[in-house]
Amino acid sequence: MPNVKDDSFIFLDPRGKRWPRLRLSILIIGLVCFVCSVLFVQSLFVTPQLRLPSSVLRLKARLKALQKHDQPQSVSGPKRLWLQFHKKSSSKAPQKTPNHPIALSDKARSQDIRLGFYAVGSQKSFQSLKKHAGQLTHVCPEWMSVLDGRGTIEARPDEQVQKLAKKTGLTLLPMLNNLSSEARVPEAVEGLAGGPEERRSAFIANLVERLESAGAGGVVIDWGEIDPAYRKGLTVLLGEISAALHLKNMELWLCIPMGTELKAFDLEALSSCVDHFIAMLHDENSEKDPPGPIASRDWFKGWLLAMADYGNPSQWVISIGSYGYDWASGEPKGEMISFPDVMARAAHAGLKECKPEGPSYNPHFSYEDAGTMHTVWFLDAATFLNQARKGSKRLTGGVAITQLGWEDPAIWEALPLISRDHLAVTDLAPLQQLKSGDSITHIGRGDFLTVDDSRADGFRTIEIDPSGRIVERYEAFPSYLTVSHQGRSAGDEVAITFDDGPDPEWTPQILDILKKEGVKAAFFVIGQKAEDHPGLLQRIVQEGHELGVHTYTHPNLAQVSEERAQLEFNATQRLIEILTGRSTILFRPPYNADSYPATLQEILPVKLAQESGYLTVAESVDPEDWSLPGAAEILKKVKRLRRGGGDIVLLHDAGGDRSQTVEALPGIIDYLRARGDRIVSLGEMLRETRDHVMPPLGNEQPMTRMVSGGGFHVLYIVENFAWAFMIVATGLIVFRTLFIVSLAAVNRRKTAQPREEDFFPPLSILIPAYNEEKVIAGTLDALLGTSYPGEIEVVVVDDGSTDGTALEVERIAEMDPRLRLIRQPNQGKALAIVRGIEALSHEILVTLDADTHFQRDTLQKLVQPMKDESVGGVSGHAKVGNLRSFIARCQALEYTCGFNLERRACHELNGITVVPGAVSALRLNAVARAGGVSTDTLAEDTDLTLCLHREGYRIAYVPDALAWTEAPETIRALAKQRFRWTFGTLQCLWKHRDMVFDGKYKALGWFSLPSVWFFHILLAAIGPMVDATLIVSLLAGVSDLLYVYFVAFLAMDFFLALLALYMEREPLRNAWIAFPMRLIYRPLLSWVIWKSVFKALKGVWVNWGKLERTASVVGPGKGTSAGYAKGGESL
Amino acid sequence: MTGLLPKERTQRFIRRLAAAGILLLSLAGGCQEKGDAQAQPGVAGERLDFPEKGAYTGAYIDFGDSEDAVTLDKIEDFEAMVGKKQGIVASSSYWGEQSFPTKNLQVISEHGAVPMIYWSPWDKPYEQGAGPDRFNLRNILSGMWDAYIDRWADQAKAYGKPILVSWGLEMNGNWFPWSGCYYEGKKRGEPAPGAFHMSGEGAKLYKEAFRYVVKRVKARGASNILWGFHANNFSYPHRTNNSIADYYPGSDVVDWLGLSAYGVQFGGGAWWASFPVVMDDPYQEICRLDPGKPFILAEWGVGEFPALGSKSQWIREAFQSLETKYPRLKGAVFWHERWQNKDESFSNLRVNSSPESLDAYRNGVSSPFWIDAARFRP
Repeated sequence: MPNVKDDSFIFLDPRGKRWPRLRLSILIIGLVCFVCSVLFVQSLFVTPQLRLPSSVLRLKARLKALQKHDQPQSVSGPKRLWLQFHKKSSSKAPQKTPNHPIALSDKARSQDIRLGFYAVGSQKSFQSLKKHAGQLTHVCPEWMSVLDGRGTIEARPDEQVQKLAKKTGLTLLPMLNNLSSEARVPEAVEGLAGGPEERRSAFIANLVERLESAGAGGVVIDWGEIDPAYRKGLTVLLGEISAALHLKNMELWLCIPMGTELKAFDLEALSSCVDHFIAMLHDENSEKDPPGPIASRDWFKGWLLAMADYGNPSQWVISIGSYGYDWASGEPKGEMISFPDVMARAAHAGLKECKPEGPSYNPHFSYEDAGTMHTVWFLDAATFLNQARKGSKRLTGGVAITQLGWEDPAIWEALPLISRDHLAVTDLAPLQQLKSGDSITHIGRGDFLTVDDSRADGFRTIEIDPSGRIVERYEAFPSYLTVSHQGRSAGDEVAITFDDGPDPEWTPQILDILKKEGVKAAFFVIGQKAEDHPGLLQRIVQEGHELGVHTYTHPNLAQVSEERAQLEFNATQRLIEILTGRSTILFRPPYNADSYPATLQEILPVKLAQESGYLTVAESVDPEDWSLPGAAEILKKVKRLRRGGGDIVLLHDAGGDRSQTVEALPGIIDYLRARGDRIVSLGEMLRETRDHVMPPLGNEQPMTRMVSGGGFHVLYIVENFAWAFMIVATGLIVFRTLFIVSLAAVNRRKTAQPREEDFFPPLSILIPAYNEEKVIAGTLDALLGTSYPGEIEVVVVDDGSTDGTALEVERIAEMDPRLRLIRQPNQGKALAIVRGIEALSHEILVTLDADTHFQRDTLQKLVQPMKDESVGGVSGHAKVGNLRSFIARCQALEYTCGFNLERRACHELNGITVVPGAVSALRLNAVARAGGVSTDTLAEDTDLTLCLHREGYRIAYVPDALAWTEAPETIRALAKQRFRWTFGTLQCLWKHRDMVFDGKYKALGWFSLPSVWFFHILLAAIGPMVDATLIVSLLAGVSDLLYVYFVAFLAMDFFLALLALYMEREPLRNAWIAFPMRLIYRPLLSWVIWKSVFKALKGVWVNWGKLERTASVVGPGKGTSAGYAKGGESL
Repeated sequence: MTGLLPKERTQRFIRRLAAAGILLLSLAGGCQEKGDAQAQPGVAGERLDFPEKGAYTGAYIDFGDSEDAVTLDKIEDFEAMVGKKQGIVASSSYWGEQSFPTKNLQVISEHGAVPMIYWSPWDKPYEQGAGPDRFNLRNILSGMWDAYIDRWADQAKAYGKPILVSWGLEMNGNWFPWSGCYYEGKKRGEPAPGAFHMSGEGAKLYKEAFRYVVKRVKARGASNILWGFHANNFSYPHRTNNSIADYYPGSDVVDWLGLSAYGVQFGGGAWWASFPVVMDDPYQEICRLDPGKPFILAEWGVGEFPALGSKSQWIREAFQSLETKYPRLKGAVFWHERWQNKDESFSNLRVNSSPESLDAYRNGVSSPFWIDAARFRP
């Protein structure tokens, strides 16, 4: 027997120096890590010095006002086309007052018409309608088109406007035009006008049904470019439409174009069936014409008077324009722009003033944008008021506004002034202010965006001249939040871009296709993914493609702090720099890259990017490949949008299954080439060299770059290690599980047949007891009631109990001579056993805990392996007897599928690491040879078992030798128990560390012990953290792969439990506990392990060791034994 | 950070494990072969095949004022409308543009059709009846435009694939500046008034110019061009020395014979001529010029004038005749355009000028007689 020496206690650091040293090193390492992280993060806050190339000019530098070339405005002068359309004769002077007495009765009512033309799908149209619905009576959304001569109707219903109209009591008058992708289809109307009656009636029925279901008050027909040869048929057609509508209490309104197109309309005849004519008193020069006034004074007056010859004046509504056209020289047609767009152009061009003059009296100006001449003509509140006042005297039905969202906001102040007989200057004062507000304006064309946010109000003077006309002069132009567009190039240039990559699966496939087709594209990468796949980033650049920043983690930049946004840019930029040796000026905002951002939210990322020196690349061809519409549909959408003029294609090379994108890409490239398009890089589109778009790194900021580079490197290594570790661990877990299960199965088959029991040596049974008053009697009853045929002696060592344990034992001993009591002052379990052993008389010793109940046959089963002289110890099968609480049930399952299964397997290998004190048989001389029971550790049974192995004894396991033990029922008690086990185990592992991978010990050295190290300590410690990471990743929706992983692990837990329960013939329904166990029980074990490791590292505080060993720290367990902390299953 | 990426490998490993499982479950999934049913566009060096049976269906599809704004969009829209792909797509190359329409040719041939180019020595503003301009026949013969012709030839050669070229079309009319009637030697640009015969000077000049241009282009090595002799079905004015035969430059410089044959194009009380009336005799007439050369109806169409006659009936009759009556017919180009005349009336020659006309065309062209993609042989 060894002397009990405090110094031999494993992990004991009597001088107490380990902890201070350790603490110091932890502190230093922690500090270094902290400083490095701070430096790294700080380096990411240092914004890379980006320089936008000269072609990306700021607006102010770009636009330049031009001297007004007063071109002779011959357009309206000599032609005087309207003269042809006066009813009687062109020579007859228009009458001063209309001769339509019948009109007077309903004049007052009808004059109130205020119609707004509404552009479907336009946000600004909707905003305007919402704001001014109260001032309108009717709204006409551009809703339907008749597409072909059969009367096929294409509808773009707009629920938004439908709801608003209903809510505000506006009469909804959807428009029916004959436009197909901005071109008139005269055949569509001619086919109806000249076609058979059935065709017309089918068309009309369809139209009426659509109007009814939309809750419309009628329809506004806007048909143009009709061959006058169909005039008669057209009259018939409109008559029939009108009749059908009137039956349903709906109205027919008809837009009357000013010009030769008018010839197709027989106004005289139509006035009897059309409820209202709308005189389209604008577009004297439309976007398709050369630059010129939109509604010059003479033109307006001429057409107004000509129209006044027809119908009833109250039947006429005059449509007044309030918008502008911007004609760029060299472009086939002009661009319709809103009033704020007009103002923004004037302001940015530095225009000093603008005063409409004769003969047109329409405001206009010219400017130059990067060398291209632009001419802008527009109509504003002043022209509106002049025209409306003049017009409503002749055509009295009311006013229509063309069009909502494009108008000069001041017209809403002007509306009430239309019918006022005399205007005072003070009435006009509100019109003078040009408020900037939160309008968003756009200048230029193309998908490269920059933002100018120099908002300022403007001013114009508005006065009344002697003839009663309103005259105006712009003195200061307002400026708005302006989005400047660039890059719209020669019509045949297209660029292809990919977002969200790189992805190890899809990006290489896409790169292969691009390589094969010889196409250069741009990849807007997510920093996080680029960090994971540095090789891909390098390949992208090596193969001549462009890289852009798509942020580091793909947040919506409008919703994060400015610092975060900065970090998102810089981290990605740094990464690109480190990996490719180039930086990039290209940026694409996550979530919204539409070329026409319509809200401040959408513009914010552009602004943030610009402040960091990036150029935002929007898109105009978005086939929404992420929504997995199928490769054919992706191609179809690209076709449609490209036909509409879009020139930057947005696809995705990551973020899900991109097989459709990969499949569609060759078709997209083929299609674009078949159109004769040139697929160019973004740099080419910008007319910039690659080195300007992706500047090679110079020597700026070398330190910062080094620090961030190193940081990314470390991050990369750590991440890779974590992944690799996870893979290896998973593999090992699976392998080990299979190995154990198959060995256990072998063992079970062997033990399944009842074997003959013929070995009944005399036995000494030792029970160390400490404060076991409540349970000792039961334990002894069960034990003494054994059916063991041989001789037994039972020795209870009372380790200085403070309760009535000794009395209980003595009481029973009186009745049964096989029982003896030995008493000693409290010295701890190990010493109690040592003391007990000294008093034994037989060679074979059985130990059990004071709260463990043997079955009648336990003893005879347990000792059978001892027949073999080489067996030094036998472990019985402890089971949890108290299944009252959840914690106990967890332990029961753990005992069954962990300890038992594993011990069966280890038995087959002779690798059992512990013969638990709760139920074991030992050969006394083997114990003596192994050095006796030692007090070096808290797990004296494990220590002893390993010592027996050292001496070459075999250790056996008898699954049939059942003992029912009590498990802790509270978490606190369990934690305490497990802490003791774990600490003990660690001590034993450390003490016997030389056995690991020692060939002498075969399975023990190569399997059992390493597996305790790896699985029971390491994995059990970090397992819950991995679980937690998995769960967090799942909640964050990172990857579906992890999901599979997680579910697979849970399933494995579950099936293992099922298998173990099946083997032990226990109810299978208990297997469900495997799920909560993983989430609740395992973290507890993990915590215990960490605590133990921590204590071990600290070097164990001397007194604590002493106290622990004397068990006086173990408090009374709830409802169970108050005795020793239970030893035994610790491995 | 270059080279092998353990994480990528491990990730791939997991994915493969997962994929292997899925694969085992879906072994029956099979693989799809990507069929390449697209028409094979012409390759440089190949020659156009004039079909033994049937003829190429073709069209001029309203390519704008200078007849050269060819876009895939227009071609696709037209094909969707008529329900058939095109074997020939026709467009112009006016000398006034001083360019070669490479992009147009590429779009057309990529699409699987063979391009037909009306190569017209005409200057802006391309107004009919304006008489000879700087590209007049004499200037051409004087060598003034040699550089342009050579440039054009070089680019045609560089393009390489077959092109049907119609140079100086409808020369027997009186609206284009290269027509013989403008070269009567009297008053420049005016056909001799009142005379019953023309001198033949104009026809001679035309023939010389035709030979001059073709030989010059051939000399530059542009052997991929198939030269067409493309006359109007009827001569205007109808005089001696102004017949189709008078302008024929010789079979050594002509690869195919072509005609423009329109029904009524302008409203206003014109006589409604049926297709056989505008086609039968002129076909016989032009075929007499050479015993074997293929024939292409290089322009055909009719306006929609319900008051004068039925366009759909006219089209039906046209298709009937085209399939049966003209054995040398190898292609037909439908003129799809709507324009406004000076008197503000409209001429709607579009195939969809009315639903009935469109139906008639769709029906007619759906016959297997009409070949919907250019065929080539090496």
